[in-house]
Amino acid sequence: MLTEFGKIFIFLLLAIGFVGIALFAAKLIRPHRPTKEKLLIYECGENVEGSPWVKFNIRFYVVALIFLIFDVEVVLLFPWALTYQEFGFYGFLVGVIFLLILGLGMAYEWRKGDLNWDRTKPNIPELSKILTNKNVSNVKIDEQIKES
Amino acid sequence: MINEILNSITFIYPELAVSIFLLIIVLVDLVFHKDKKYIPYISLAGLVITGILVLNQIGITHFAFVPQLSAVKKYGMMTIDPFGSYFKLLVVVTSILIIFFTIASEEVIDLKERLGEFHALIYGMILGMLVMISASDLILIYLSLELLSLSSYVLAGFLKLRERSSEASLKYVIYGSVSSGLMLFGISIIYGLTGSTNLYVINSLIQGPQINLFTLSFSSILMFVGIGYKISAAPFHFWTPDVYEGAPISITAYLSVASKAAGFALLIRFIQTGFTSFISEDGYWTLIAVFDWQALLIAISILTMTLGNFSALWQDNLKRMLAYSSIAHAGYILLGIAVLSNQGLIAVLIYFFVYMLMNIGAFYVVMLISNKTGSENIDDYDGLGAKAPFLGVALAIFLISLTGLPPTAGFIAKLYLFIALIDANMIVVAIIALLNTVVSLYYYVRVLKHMYLTKSEREQENITPSIGSLVYLLVLLIPILFFGIYFTPIVEFARSCVSLLGI
Repeated sequence: MLTEFGKIFIFLLLAIGFVGIALFAAKLIRPHRPTKEKLLIYECGENVEGSPWVKFNIRFYVVALIFLIFDVEVVLLFPWALTYQEFGFYGFLVGVIFLLILGLGMAYEWRKGDLNWDRTKPNIPELSKILTNKNVSNVKIDEQIKES
Repeated sequence: MINEILNSITFIYPELAVSIFLLIIVLVDLVFHKDKKYIPYISLAGLVITGILVLNQIGITHFAFVPQLSAVKKYGMMTIDPFGSYFKLLVVVTSILIIFFTIASEEVIDLKERLGEFHALIYGMILGMLVMISASDLILIYLSLELLSLSSYVLAGFLKLRERSSEASLKYVIYGSVSSGLMLFGISIIYGLTGSTNLYVINSLIQGPQINLFTLSFSSILMFVGIGYKISAAPFHFWTPDVYEGAPISITAYLSVASKAAGFALLIRFIQTGFTSFISEDGYWTLIAVFDWQALLIAISILTMTLGNFSALWQDNLKRMLAYSSIAHAGYILLGIAVLSNQGLIAVLIYFFVYMLMNIGAFYVVMLISNKTGSENIDDYDGLGAKAPFLGVALAIFLISLTGLPPTAGFIAKLYLFIALIDANMIVVAIIALLNTVVSLYYYVRVLKHMYLTKSEREQENITPSIGSLVYLLVLLIPILFFGIYFTPIVEFARSCVSLLGI
């Protein structure tokens, strides 16, 4: 009659129906007094300021990627560590080769400078440089100093 | 278990060689990071060694990586057979040609810093293709497909500063992830139906009466979506023109030949080992009556070649035009599979060999010209026949061969395809394919018209290719003309490589 998947389907229907009925019933019973405060994100907290779409520095992604690689490495090494003794020397060798290849990846990142957290160099204004530029008026010099 | 793995290693020497050279390239790139001019030669050496190892494998028929869990009959995750060796050889030869291609290509020379990564990624593609060609387990098929795809996504966008290249890469990733997701869905349904991921076991299980035909057909179509995306068959071809136009031209040539060849090898193996019940004396495959592969393949191939040919008519960019022409060629080759016979398979093998020569040749000439003029637009080819006589003649021969006119090898490839079609009594399909060839003649000859009959409006300097490029073009041209007249060797070689590991 019903396959196992059919039972799951009935469960799904019941779950969706339960949510729908509960929401509908609540709508009938509950009082309805809308205020502006209720539309805020944190109803009883501070007022929200600015957009949540902040730009993160791209360097975080590099760190995240490197973390991911070594995370996966650990996940793969756990089952290996549990069973490699059964396979004797070859089992050990497999793990060593795996680690060597990963080590090569690490060396690659290091050499290519992906591990360096290079800061942007602060642009310190030098008075002599600004003054030698004769076309610049005093107002513009002030602006330049402000900008940098 | 460990013994089985150690024994199997003797059958995957080519794949091992590719992996080891991949690591060597990364190491060399790290150690000698100031001087990168040796890297192409290292990757050439690695490919030659891989090629020799593949040549040693020709004629061997064997299973590798047999899980010892299955009690009755033992099927492996990989199959080594002459059919696979042929395609592996094709992939390796294409890769060698492409490495020479990159040595001459300005786009790649300008990379300098990132040359090591470039070659390492090409090796990643080769590894994916070699495994894909001999994989007979759905998990391994998916894994190798992803390895191939991921490397080619990066390579397609390797010219970071060029906008079109980044666009190509992004489009490739989006289309690729959707289609490989669909394929994974198909794999999961097949696994759910049969409880096995091995194609041979699946073959024996779907012959039973309790299989749900609708579900199986659905999952087969989903599998075909994944493979069809790799071979750029018609409803899944939308990425092809953009990616081929945006990617570095050496990678375009590589994608259009090697990764397509691997995709076709996978499709043939999937249909033959997964769905064929027996092969008759005269070479016709009888499929298990669960899914009508023939109808699907014929419909898709007619759609593919018609769409490819008619879209190519309006293209002004040579790379884009060749992209559409490669879609059309995928359609012709699909017909060879749709025949479902060894005759058709021979035609496919011959076609791919010839296709490799003429397609890489055409892209090479386009690359040489764009090195000089910086453009692939058809208007820049005006009057080229006089300014670069050798390049003009070479491109003319490649394009005539792509059309399939005698006395070039392209004619032989199409001839065997049509013989197979007519032998299987598929006359109507053969006529449609023939008419398509006529359409394709227009856009190929249009390039010739621009080269020889149109006067250029602005002055251009003469283009004289270097000696290396001359030799390279001759290496491609001579076989095309030679096999167009005396084609017994490739036909015999293809005939000897037609057998897949039996069912």
